[in-house]
Amino acid sequence: MPMDTPHLSSPSGKGLAALQDIYQQRGKKAETLQKQGRKILGYMCHFAPLEIMSAAGFVPFRIFGRRGENLVAVDDFIEPYGCPYVRNSFEQELQGRLNFLEGIVMAHSCDMVQRLYGIWRYYRNPKYAYLFNVPHQVTSWAQDFFVRESQLFLESLEIYQGEKVSEEVLEYTISLYNEIRHKIRQLYSLRKHHPPLLTGVEMQQVLIAGTCLPPEEYLQLLRETTEEVSSRQIPGPNSARNVRIMIWGSIVDDTRLFELIENCGAHVVVDDTCTGTRIFNHDVKQNDNPFQQLMKKYFLDFQCPRTDRGPGYQRFDYVKELVTEYRIDGVIGYTLAYCDPHKLDFPDLRDFLTQHSCPMLLIDDDYSLGNSEAIQNRIQAFIEMLK
Amino acid sequence: MNYFLGLDSGSTTTKAVIINETRKIVSQAIVPTGANSRAAINKVTGTVLKQIKITPGDIACTVSTGYGRKQAATADKQVTEITCHARGVNWLIPDARTIIDIGGQDFKIMALDSKGNVIDFRMNDKCAAGTGRFMEVMARVLELELDHFSVIALKAQKRVEITSVCTVFAETEVINHISSGTPLPDLANGIFTAVATRVYALARSLITSSSVVAFTGGVAQNIGMAKALEEKVGQKLEVPPQPQMTGAIGAALVAANHFLKQE
Repeated sequence: MPMDTPHLSSPSGKGLAALQDIYQQRGKKAETLQKQGRKILGYMCHFAPLEIMSAAGFVPFRIFGRRGENLVAVDDFIEPYGCPYVRNSFEQELQGRLNFLEGIVMAHSCDMVQRLYGIWRYYRNPKYAYLFNVPHQVTSWAQDFFVRESQLFLESLEIYQGEKVSEEVLEYTISLYNEIRHKIRQLYSLRKHHPPLLTGVEMQQVLIAGTCLPPEEYLQLLRETTEEVSSRQIPGPNSARNVRIMIWGSIVDDTRLFELIENCGAHVVVDDTCTGTRIFNHDVKQNDNPFQQLMKKYFLDFQCPRTDRGPGYQRFDYVKELVTEYRIDGVIGYTLAYCDPHKLDFPDLRDFLTQHSCPMLLIDDDYSLGNSEAIQNRIQAFIEMLK
Repeated sequence: MNYFLGLDSGSTTTKAVIINETRKIVSQAIVPTGANSRAAINKVTGTVLKQIKITPGDIACTVSTGYGRKQAATADKQVTEITCHARGVNWLIPDARTIIDIGGQDFKIMALDSKGNVIDFRMNDKCAAGTGRFMEVMARVLELELDHFSVIALKAQKRVEITSVCTVFAETEVINHISSGTPLPDLANGIFTAVATRVYALARSLITSSSVVAFTGGVAQNIGMAKALEEKVGQKLEVPPQPQMTGAIGAALVAANHFLKQE
């Protein structure tokens, strides 16, 4: 597939600087791509495989809100007791900031996103809309269901585009995304140094920038970034010992939380969120049935608490592995108001981590991080406690 | 002689404590924070220096704490009040392993070890329910001075349920009680019990049956509140003589340790 998309015209248009630039203006970037003839498909939650969207000729664009923005229009459509992230995201659409979208695909990840699909479709009438159904358990018939749902999703995109997607194109697209995931894991591993070679804020910028880019372009920028960051000086053994933090939580779609933590002198070195490791720690195995393998990555291996994995603590083993691997001193959880799946997992996770001598703090937020003095106070106290 | 200054810029009052090298308190003062926390810090600093006739140059190290800690321009170090309360209480009451601190607009629970290090903590979320500000509003509704409000509850005859500790909703509920003729002592006791229930719900997981529990912050001066909380916790609470000063004392101790290179 050709590299047909030019970079944003910015003075520092390479690697990390380019990604930081794109992070600042995701919408503008998507708008540019759309003007160049690309079809932009907005999506929410990480269940509908990006490989399918890209292979069918779309640029996947993950829909985020704008943290802390005063909501004006959305109250007419979704009551204030709804999820603040969903409300804020729909406000962006109502304000005309997502006009570049050709269509939307939403997963039945949680009920709020599922209902937003209906509201969006009814009131905004996008040219293309798909509700990607996801079972809540991981039984064998649920797995079959997910495979079939992925196939139906692809078929629906093919009908919209009037063109079949060949197996070769799908395989090629999977290989692109695998390489992206590989590069991102490489960047993560550079954070295992102490102090890390890449700050939490920088990593977050890289991750969020990627959510509006065609895979070829993202991969190219990731290659440059990895090379650039790898050449940074590896810290000596006597470097200052600052606290190493892991972030756990639902969607964390900007750098604000990372700034609050790193401004207190700690390092955010890894995360367990659906904008971070949850989506990059597993590849899609190739030269096999692609739909089976996509199911494995996007359903079985994707750790969103909306999927029931039984009551035992072993469902958190992967978190413990990250804690050990990245030498974590403490975990800071971030949950959004009304996000029951994450909130109900928190006490279990905290107890589990405490048993393994890893303290955990929870920040419960309304998608504003607005009262940041109070939040910063807690974060700083937590970091003082870990020292 | 080196002196160490601890400043606690709280939401309602600003406190200052000076200790000497033997960690003895040599001066302390408290002023209302008002609308300008920086001015309050300057004022209280001036007062504690003047009381023992020393100048800013005699202070070897200053640590600020509290919500306004960043406003203290002369501070060498800023430390959260969580850490400072733990240090202060540990110095005053070495056996304390849990602290319940109720301040002007928040409350916090800390578990600490024998050296005064914080092991875990909880804070109330976002709103002033059950804090000093809440007490002030309730006292006003009952047309009582704060001092009177705190002791009148001790004369309660009957238990009155206040179901909400939201400042706005509780006010409505209290007014309903007033109009139906509920005696003031019962009502005051009902208010304190409601707050104690809320605080204890958060504190419970950090209290073990053997741990000595300290009660600090401005609200710890409120006898009615202390009694209601003791009933919930099921044991006597240790209240230091000036419970609102523990943060500033802790800050001064951190300053001394910092200067003497112990941390």
